Amino acid sequence: MSLAELQNVKKYFGDVHAVDDVSLKINENEQISLIGPNGAGKTTLINIFAGTIKLNSGKIIFMGKDITHLPPYKRCELGLARSFQLPAIYPNLTVYDSVRASIISKLKKGKRFYSSVDLDDEVNKMTKEVLELFELYNKRDMLAIKLPHGDKKLLDVACAFALWPKLILLDEPTSGVSTIEKRKVMEKILSVSKEMGIKSFIIVEHDMDIVFSYSNRIIVMYEGKVLADGKPEKIKENAEVVRILLGKVK
Amino acid sequence: MFTLDAIIGILFNGIFYGSILFLIAAGLQLIFGVQRILNLACGSFYALGVYTGVTFIEFFMGIGLPHIYFIIALIIAGLILGFIGPIIERGILKPIYAREMEFQLLATFALVLIFEDVIRFVWGIYPKISKVSPVIYGELRIGATILPIYYIFVIVISLTIALFMGFMIKKTKLGKTLRAISDNREMSAALGVNVNKFYLLSFTIGTIMGTIGGSLMAPVTAAWLGLGVEIIVYAFAVVVIGGLGSMIGAFIGAMIVGVFKGLAIAIYPELEVLIIYAVVIAILIMKPSGLFGRIEE
Amino acid sequence: MKIDIIKEVSTIIPFKNTRFTSILIILFIIALIAPYVAPPFLTYILLTFFCYVPIVIGFNLLLGYTGLLSFGHGLFVAIGMYTSVYLMRNYGVTSIEIMLILAATLSALAGFGVGLLCIRYVRIFFAMLTLAFSMVFYSFLLKFYWLTGGDEGLGIYTRPALLGMKFDTLYIMDFLTKVYYYYVLAIMVILLIFMYRITTSHFGICLRAVKENPRKADESGLNVKKYRLYAFVISAIYTGIGGALLVQVTRHVVPAITYWTYSGEIVFMTLLGGFNYFTGPIIGAFVYIVLRDLIMSLTIYWRVILGVALLLIVIFVPGGLMGGAKSLSKLIIKKRESYEFS
Repeated sequence: MSLAELQNVKKYFGDVHAVDDVSLKINENEQISLIGPNGAGKTTLINIFAGTIKLNSGKIIFMGKDITHLPPYKRCELGLARSFQLPAIYPNLTVYDSVRASIISKLKKGKRFYSSVDLDDEVNKMTKEVLELFELYNKRDMLAIKLPHGDKKLLDVACAFALWPKLILLDEPTSGVSTIEKRKVMEKILSVSKEMGIKSFIIVEHDMDIVFSYSNRIIVMYEGKVLADGKPEKIKENAEVVRILLGKVK
Repeated sequence: MFTLDAIIGILFNGIFYGSILFLIAAGLQLIFGVQRILNLACGSFYALGVYTGVTFIEFFMGIGLPHIYFIIALIIAGLILGFIGPIIERGILKPIYAREMEFQLLATFALVLIFEDVIRFVWGIYPKISKVSPVIYGELRIGATILPIYYIFVIVISLTIALFMGFMIKKTKLGKTLRAISDNREMSAALGVNVNKFYLLSFTIGTIMGTIGGSLMAPVTAAWLGLGVEIIVYAFAVVVIGGLGSMIGAFIGAMIVGVFKGLAIAIYPELEVLIIYAVVIAILIMKPSGLFGRIEE
Repeated sequence: MKIDIIKEVSTIIPFKNTRFTSILIILFIIALIAPYVAPPFLTYILLTFFCYVPIVIGFNLLLGYTGLLSFGHGLFVAIGMYTSVYLMRNYGVTSIEIMLILAATLSALAGFGVGLLCIRYVRIFFAMLTLAFSMVFYSFLLKFYWLTGGDEGLGIYTRPALLGMKFDTLYIMDFLTKVYYYYVLAIMVILLIFMYRITTSHFGICLRAVKENPRKADESGLNVKKYRLYAFVISAIYTGIGGALLVQVTRHVVPAITYWTYSGEIVFMTLLGGFNYFTGPIIGAFVYIVLRDLIMSLTIYWRVILGVALLLIVIFVPGGLMGGAKSLSKLIIKKRESYEFS
């Protein structure tokens, strides 16, 4: 069964066709890499998908529901979560509380006005689990804003994972991280998602080595359109993709 | 319902009051546009202007200055009072430009408290009434309506300032720089604009607009302690209706508020603030950025 | 079950932090004996302060925990005050509990209505819209003088019954400082406990997430507007109750409560103490009220002194008194450590 579907999605910024008539089907158990040169419309597509920005025309279906006009928090309730390219954090919340906010949201306990969250074993157990998986547990009392850049990115991703989504959109989770660290971060994300049972995600990524070794489907975007879509081996053989992407990179 | 005379009277009074309001609101807008500070003390500048205006009139009457020059004396009073602008900007606002908007608002609130007592100290607690009335320059009669010529002078002065401000902001290099700072403070600083200097300039101009607005009002209104916090209520209404940071907005907003005020006074004086703020709420709900403003995060 | 109660209590009184707990206990004892050792005017000031506690902590739920600066909270104080006065004067109600309940209900309704419109905006627009609503109410109070007493306001000349008990034979000052004092103290403590639990509840965490990064909160499944609205309503209820308690002390209510400068005073108290701390606004209110009464008795130029104090705080101690105290204690600890090492 398909998890999500984008139908003829368009987004224009003035004359710029940031996303130009994109149609996609996303199935369960797909680890998709969304690649393409700068300005290809990858982040815009993620933003449209998550509801961060509105689209000009087209339709988005998720879990069998039309979510085109739903606000982000409702999409999230259906099981769609995301992380941001520039890490989105709660600056003056501790690492622990940042993840707890996601867990409370997931458990729909946000309307408990008079129950001590410190005494809620369910919330605290899940928070500890997520933080330990991301190796952030020993930094739990630090304010998010005081974390080093790499940990901020990881915290952003951890907050998204803490929602136990059905599909997760990761916008360049390794940007700003050194090349050696990149592999580590990706492996961490993959192992955590296995551990937590989150099977489907879309990752926007630049590093070709990472792309080809960690995903089972690749979508190549170029100038707002989907240029190619398929298994990594197929993409590697596609001459046009190689010219546009690899030609520039290598 | 209304006779033509009455309508002319309401409109005329409204436009006069709007002209004064424009001066104060324009000062507020300029400072907000450039420094991103909502200056609650603009009302205090106005109050200081009124008091100083009354004192100036007394002084010049004492030395026997012909009545015809009084309006010039009032403008000079406003200009001289402008000296408080740079002092406040350098001493109080400069250290807190990087602070959250809440703190900046609080700092100007502190100024309101301080100036109220400064006035109490200098002029005492009893209201002061100027020794000349707005009819010193004669009156214009249209039917049964009596229109003081002084009002027309004020409207003309205000219009001139409005046109000059509009020209300065749209056409001159200074205006372009101010707009650039307003759009992006960091970028302007990075491009070598001496942002500090322009902050000082815009705050001083903003202050002077308020003090002149006040001094021109001296022959019309009694000077009392609550003037400063009262005028804020109207100036706020003006900027919300016109849109924060917009000069055209300040002008149109001031005229709308002025005319509504004139109307309310003619029909039912107690309804004044109620009517004006009903308009404010309606605007904020339908178009939160105001008629000419842009909304920003 | 027994263990659970201890656990619940320990979320309010941190027994492990012995210093903090002992400070709490000492303060409570001082508050209890104050009417019998302090001169009446001091007790009266203390009583005024107790009434302001719900107002400032309610206000700070909005500013400190939700990130919304209201410049029109005087509106809800006035609703609490006018409700009480109206009930006493026009309906002969004596039970203060009825007044408190009705004040809370009306504040909640007003908070819901005003909040629904205001929470669509943040920062300066939110501040201006709340100010606008307060000003409308102000002119409403002025205009309908046959209902509200207009500019002069309304006085109350009877005494409320506390928990059904009447105290009509006592002198008014004795009633206020010896009886009503304890009543307000009890209500204040209950409201404090409730507020503390709210800020440390599931809701409280989500509220802070909404404050820190509304976009991320939205993408994390939190309905930002709803949280802001809840906070606004709770805040209005607290402020309204505070107003209803306060009016028994002032014995008089005037429309000036809804004027923007009065709302500014509430903001002042909160920032004075530090809005990033739960106890900040409480300390701010205490210092403000004591200072104001003290300076007012010395000079008519109390505004200039308060204004300068406010400026100094804004420029030099942005964290308020609590923030200043925290960084001072850190500094001392650091110094001590450096002595130990040297």
